[in-house]
Amino acid sequence: MSYMDKSIKEIHKDLVQKKVSSQELIDESIKKSHEIQEKYNAFVTILDGAKPKEVTEELISGIPFGVKDNYSTKGILSTGSSNTLRDYIPFFNATSIENLLNKGAIIVNKTVLDEFGMGGTGTTGHTGIVKNPWNPLHMCAGSSAGSACAVAAGVYPYATGSDTGDSIRKPAAYCGIVGYKPTYGMISRYGLFPFASSLDHCGVLTRNVEDAAIVVNAMKGKDKNDMTTWDSSKIDLTKSLYENAKGKKLAYIKELCNIEYYKNADETLKKHLENFKNTLSICKELGIEVEEISIDEKLLNAIASTYVVISCAEATSNMSNLTGIIFGPREEGKNYVEMIKNYRTKNFSPLIKRRFVIGSYVLQKENKDRYFFNAQRVRRLLVDEWKKAFQKYDAIILPVGTGPAPLLKESKDVIDENTKALEEHLQVGNFGGFPSITIPNGFINNLPVGVNITGNCYEDEKVLNIAYQLENKMNYKNQIAKENNDEI
Amino acid sequence: MSTFTKEMVEEYADKLLIGLTEEESDMVLSEFDTIDKNIDIINTIPNIEQVEPMSFCLDDFEVDLREDEIEESIKIEELLQNCDEVSDREIEVTKVVG
Repeated sequence: MSYMDKSIKEIHKDLVQKKVSSQELIDESIKKSHEIQEKYNAFVTILDGAKPKEVTEELISGIPFGVKDNYSTKGILSTGSSNTLRDYIPFFNATSIENLLNKGAIIVNKTVLDEFGMGGTGTTGHTGIVKNPWNPLHMCAGSSAGSACAVAAGVYPYATGSDTGDSIRKPAAYCGIVGYKPTYGMISRYGLFPFASSLDHCGVLTRNVEDAAIVVNAMKGKDKNDMTTWDSSKIDLTKSLYENAKGKKLAYIKELCNIEYYKNADETLKKHLENFKNTLSICKELGIEVEEISIDEKLLNAIASTYVVISCAEATSNMSNLTGIIFGPREEGKNYVEMIKNYRTKNFSPLIKRRFVIGSYVLQKENKDRYFFNAQRVRRLLVDEWKKAFQKYDAIILPVGTGPAPLLKESKDVIDENTKALEEHLQVGNFGGFPSITIPNGFINNLPVGVNITGNCYEDEKVLNIAYQLENKMNYKNQIAKENNDEI
Repeated sequence: MSTFTKEMVEEYADKLLIGLTEEESDMVLSEFDTIDKNIDIINTIPNIEQVEPMSFCLDDFEVDLREDEIEESIKIEELLQNCDEVSDREIEVTKVVG
């Protein structure tokens, strides 16, 4: 009998009734980890010696989980999927991981990401590309690629992720699972390798909304080591889930969701938007009011550019501690400057270097106002538009991306001139720090697709309630990836 | 004709103490006009001069200063475990002066 494909509550119940032991769960999870590693390359490290823990009243006690490799884990290799940290072993745990461990959770592996989270394909980690468990010819998206792959494949009920643009919520969609990032500051970022600090969020990948609420309940909390955290001790994220969603109000943005806005739309996009409209009908069946809103296309088309400028600029300062002198594999040089330069030149991948060059360019004295500050101004305009909607609606519902996972051979990390706002709109959730969750809402060409629900800051409970009720009305809850190599 | 040169791209990288290989430099240069055109979309939004730049997502956030209490710190030996060249309890670097 397998347990790792079950929900947290189901596993906990059987642990309490001693139908299964924590050691047996670890054995199953480690065995699956090796199988999945062989097939899809999801892990940087598998902890074969993971030890069982006591089962307590904490729902996650005694249960294995995975950690994205940009979270610091004490005594466990933590690379950020970068050659610059290929031998780095932290001497402390990230606060959110410490919170999970204190409640009895057990780390069984560290998962692959795009180098330092700076990519959306799952193909730029230093240990190689991560393949989609529904079809290994396709990508998982990124950057939380390994976590999404492993949860979808049934290695454990959850894995941590981080999300700077859509790095939890897009891989969740491509892998047919749930990805949730709560309001900015609900989970401490202490010990998460920073990428763009004003946009970085911690969060989780699971196979159902209730598990996401359970895990974030365990990860969250004010932290003296992260000044941006706030007190959420009175919030129990599972509490609102079971309430009737009748009377809730959702909005969707017509410029993103209506097919007539896409000239030369291909069949996949047509199916994806049709499927989204079907999901809206299900919302209505639940008694949720759904209305169309309009946002200036010009502003929507600036989302991706705003994200690129702000994230690349912030990344340039966050990478300044990567010198190879205090930690990381040291490089030779005539002086310390040369040592640092040799270390960075040799160990950063070409794609991440390109992002740093963009960051450097937009921060040049002559460009700073035109690019960096203007990006921050557009960020405010976008956030204001979303907040205006939240005055009237409980949340905004939108399709994730333009369809299912693209083929790996089509994978690119180039800032495309024709990037569609539909592909990038989840980044507004990071601009505003909004609680945002992706749940699976169907299949296109035998691959899963997702729908996203985003609400106003501090209103995580509303977002989770709508997501939970919608999930229960569809057929994709708790699904495990079944490999299907047929190309349609 | 590109408005960017190889020297410009290499200078942007050099300011971050990053060197580009010939191949990387060519790749970045070949894309830079597109990158620049894309990020310039920001400047097509009208009347943004008066908008206050947004650098943080929570606009109602108050920071409490924590008490100035001495806490136990990590042992130096532990901190040095990730360093490749150590002499006693210190990090060794190439000579800086004379």
